Amino acid sequence: MLSFLSRRVLHAIPTLLGITLLLFVLFHWVGGNPVYRLLGKNANAVEIARMTHQLGLDKPFWNQYWDYLRDLSHGSFGRSWETKQRVSEMILDGLGPSLSLAIPAFILSALISLAMALTAALYRDRWLDRLLVVLSVCGMSLSVLTFIIAAQYLFAFRAGWFPISGWEPGLTGVPFLALPILIWVAASLGASVRFYRAVFLEEMRREYVVTARAKGLSWPRVLVHHVLPNAMIPILTQLVMELPMLFTGSLLLENFFGIPGLGNMSVNAINASDLPVIKAMTFIGSVLYIAANIVGDALYAWFDPRVRVS
Amino acid sequence: MRDLWNKIRRRFGRDKLALFSVTVISIYIVAGLLALIGILAPHYAQSVGEAYAPPSWVHPLGLDVLGRSIWDRVVQGARVALIVGFVSTFIAIPFGTVLGLIAGYFRGVVDAFVVWLYSTLDSVPTILLLLTLALVLPTGKGLATVCIALGVTSWVSTCRVVRGEVIRQKEFDYVRAARSLGATDSRILFVHVLPNALHLILVQASLVFVYSIKSEIILSYLGVGVQNFPSWGVMIDDARLELVGRGVWWQFAAATGALFILVLAFNLFNDALRDALDPNQS
Amino acid sequence: MKSRIISPPLALSVALLCACNPYQHQKNVYRGALSSNLKTFDPAQASDSYSNQCQFQIYECLYEYKYLARPYDVQPCLASSLPEVDDSGRDYTIHLRSDVEFQDDKCFPGGKGRRVTAQDFIYSIKRMTDVRTQTFGWWIFDGKVKGLNAFRDASEQLPPLPDSIHPALYDQKIEGLRALDDTTVRIELTRPYPYFKYILAMPYAAIIPHEAVDYYGEEFLNHPVGTGPFILKEWRRGLRLVFERNPNYHHGFYPTTGEPGDSAAGLLEDAGKPLPFLDRAEFYIYEETQPMWLNFLRGNLDRSAIPKDNFSQAITPEGLRPDLLQKGIHAHQMQELDISYICFNMEDSVFTRDRKLRQAMQLAYDVETVIDRFYNGLGIRAQSPVPPGLFGYDSAFRSPYGHFDPEAARKLLTEDGHPGGAGLPELSYLTVAGTDARQRGEHFVQNMAAIGVRVKVESCTWPEYLERLRRKKFQLVGSSWSADYPDPENFLQLLYGPNAPPGENNASYRNPEYDSLYQRMAVMSDSPERLTIIRRMKSIVAEDCPWILISHRTTEVLAYDRVHNVISHPILEAPLKYYRVD
Repeated sequence: MLSFLSRRVLHAIPTLLGITLLLFVLFHWVGGNPVYRLLGKNANAVEIARMTHQLGLDKPFWNQYWDYLRDLSHGSFGRSWETKQRVSEMILDGLGPSLSLAIPAFILSALISLAMALTAALYRDRWLDRLLVVLSVCGMSLSVLTFIIAAQYLFAFRAGWFPISGWEPGLTGVPFLALPILIWVAASLGASVRFYRAVFLEEMRREYVVTARAKGLSWPRVLVHHVLPNAMIPILTQLVMELPMLFTGSLLLENFFGIPGLGNMSVNAINASDLPVIKAMTFIGSVLYIAANIVGDALYAWFDPRVRVS
Repeated sequence: MRDLWNKIRRRFGRDKLALFSVTVISIYIVAGLLALIGILAPHYAQSVGEAYAPPSWVHPLGLDVLGRSIWDRVVQGARVALIVGFVSTFIAIPFGTVLGLIAGYFRGVVDAFVVWLYSTLDSVPTILLLLTLALVLPTGKGLATVCIALGVTSWVSTCRVVRGEVIRQKEFDYVRAARSLGATDSRILFVHVLPNALHLILVQASLVFVYSIKSEIILSYLGVGVQNFPSWGVMIDDARLELVGRGVWWQFAAATGALFILVLAFNLFNDALRDALDPNQS
Repeated sequence: MKSRIISPPLALSVALLCACNPYQHQKNVYRGALSSNLKTFDPAQASDSYSNQCQFQIYECLYEYKYLARPYDVQPCLASSLPEVDDSGRDYTIHLRSDVEFQDDKCFPGGKGRRVTAQDFIYSIKRMTDVRTQTFGWWIFDGKVKGLNAFRDASEQLPPLPDSIHPALYDQKIEGLRALDDTTVRIELTRPYPYFKYILAMPYAAIIPHEAVDYYGEEFLNHPVGTGPFILKEWRRGLRLVFERNPNYHHGFYPTTGEPGDSAAGLLEDAGKPLPFLDRAEFYIYEETQPMWLNFLRGNLDRSAIPKDNFSQAITPEGLRPDLLQKGIHAHQMQELDISYICFNMEDSVFTRDRKLRQAMQLAYDVETVIDRFYNGLGIRAQSPVPPGLFGYDSAFRSPYGHFDPEAARKLLTEDGHPGGAGLPELSYLTVAGTDARQRGEHFVQNMAAIGVRVKVESCTWPEYLERLRRKKFQLVGSSWSADYPDPENFLQLLYGPNAPPGENNASYRNPEYDSLYQRMAVMSDSPERLTIIRRMKSIVAEDCPWILISHRTTEVLAYDRVHNVISHPILEAPLKYYRVD
């Protein structure tokens, strides 16, 4: 197991380097020389040259890349060009709001979609299953924007059941999070239910299930005691792979509901060509993705020893 | 190839829903073509009445902030959506297929490189990558950039799938047989292996198409999509404030409805396609 | 496991939770909104409206604008009297108050704020002049004060920050900026600029203590230490800021005189009383207008602008809607000192010599519809760059092209050799990305298409926009300008030849007659002669059409009756120290 893990980690390193290179190449060519923004449009040529030198933008490409790597290894993401705050501090500030939305939504979404998928599998081909499948497909056919705009308009504005937007830390913040969480869950249900349902159905086709049924065990018992644990392997790996998404936060939800999280920060950074922030967010997102991949693979290997050998 | 087509035809012939989905998609494509030539909805940019006029007999979907017909804009939006879908698919699929083929077949260094390439791309949060590409590409903002950005980010799943299939197929007898007969690698790849992976590729193409359409909506909503032209994403962006501020719901409903019907049709189409082509189906 | 539906009890408890209001209303606490996150508290770097609104509560300048009196003028704030100007108009002697202290802060020894001296003013200006501070406001002193430009050039040799935060260079004497003693400042200008007293009231010239800069270094922008009526209590980025009364503040009093009508409006009830009245002021940050508006309607905010799309919910042709009046809300309008325009890049070959094209495009643009649809009718169509309320504004002045006449536009085009737009390339119109800007761009395209001129809209991010303006990489661009100080020179300089980018003359307009007239009026005090010159300059601009003039905005702001002493001032953005909340 350990050798499996260490192999995967080793494989991840060139990928990580590849990511930093990709990011750096992209952003090296991104428009909007930061110098103009930092100095204002009335700067003269001397000031611009000076600032360019100060930011190290006149060094050759590889020097700048090396500086970037070196800073990264120290955990320093530099300062935002837009807010002039330390990027690492900004990220820590934004982590709380993002997670307060993402974690409850993630858990709720997973639980509800599993429950619905299991129900669909249980009542396979009957009207309940059909209904759930139809709802899922319809859910998948709508843009997440539709969910957000419609829900905000109908439930927050017209009905007044929820505040329209905003965020507060702590318990008083719960009313603000209620609607975004519900929207997140609703928008993700479609695809999740379909996927989990397919996994359950696949599992239900296996021989041991047929055997168990033949032995006289009821469907609910079979499902919960036999199918579910086995199906958890692909499901769990899938869930683990979705975890990094929590970090980037739902850009759109945070934007609409004024939640000062990492997603909102990313959108603002992109609109302002605030490279240090964009680079940091993308880098961290990638690292988390790779980590989640490794954990997912490890989980798979732990459950299914055959995988370790390959 | 003929074999695939027969499978598809049989499946679709049986299934009413599948036929319905094909019909709907065809209607959209025809509408898009007509809009492209200029026969359908040519006056999308003109003011034809009062701003924010509600749906009426003359203008069944109402008018927007500048008094333009929403029906016309929806149709032009369909044209944009289809162009984005087709072009990104035509970029992503061949690219992903070729890379998947050579990675799976030749293994070794080539494989390592391809896997590294797509792991790297995959690790970067997609929406951030899309937004950044949209701002970086020299083609500036607009339709071309959206298509390129989507094509460049969507080839990964196709590559993975094809690669996996090729690795599997490499062990099969027919490949060994062909090689012992002296066939060149490229011949084996393109004439023998590729057709056997085609069913997977077709499904992928359909998935990428839908993904592109949905992504274009978000990109246009965020302002980095199509410029100077109606698209469903732009319409939703317009609609957002109108809805809450003035209670004007027709633009939102129109764009959402058009999107929903097309994507629903595609989802049903994908399902039927997968059912028809997937050899694992009992 | 059955699939769950949201059960009624769950929905009920969620609704109950929502009913508990996180924004409680309290006496002497003011709650306002900011439409964007503020960037910095450093007055030298604060150039955006939001940062200015915030740092204004904490920092003060030598002079400040009178709150009630019109026309707009300044009164002493940290100075004890208006500047003594000699006959040449170039030498200013300013006496400072001797009883003002900085707020208490740990950057001071013992944590106690000390007296403000003339040396503090000198230090503040030197720091702002230092290139390393990267201020956007250098232009206010550039070339105006003897010896200051040399200081700025010398600062380029200094090592980059955070090294040398208080270098030996700062101890050097500057010829035109001297502290004669602890309470006297002497400034020598290169030319007799009559509006210099206004410059001393600008945020860039705020007085800061060197102890704070030395102590906080790079974090100074987050730790303001000033002399103003409030101190910063809490700053949760992206959420809110909280200011509290500064116990060391004693030198501010509510004005005793105002304009006719102020007394009847209840604006003089607190005449002569010590400021501030508020114990606390909270700013909530709302990047989206909808939540701000709804929170205002629910009484969670005391004051709010009206978002464009909600306008009809608030204002009818007869005035504020009755249901809002009943809630205890009142509206006040204010004419802003600003101008919005679309400018031609005069260095682009399409426009350089083609005056008739420019005139035609001005005639073809339906400005009234723009004001009506995108500003909710809140604005006056501009006939010249000078807005109402400033010397030189004449409501009877009309530009010959300042009305909507597509027929005349088409005729001009034909005379010009471009009948129906023939022979013209597709033009590009640059805007900053955003829904509103996009819709306005589309409207512009529509208007131009009606006379045969093809235009396409290019949207870009704000940094790109600034860069392209500076590098003159555009054909048409939308822009606007708000008064830095109430003198027409501030607007007429936007078309002064030498001010071409990197200056503010985005159009790169160059007219020798206009330029020489500008040089004369810039150093004149208000007089009939000055008026004649300004009038002539307006006529030149009207004929030459380097801009498509749009409007001078009117703003309409709503506030609850429980907030007293609220008026809108075009230059004072958030004069909280005058407000009183029941």
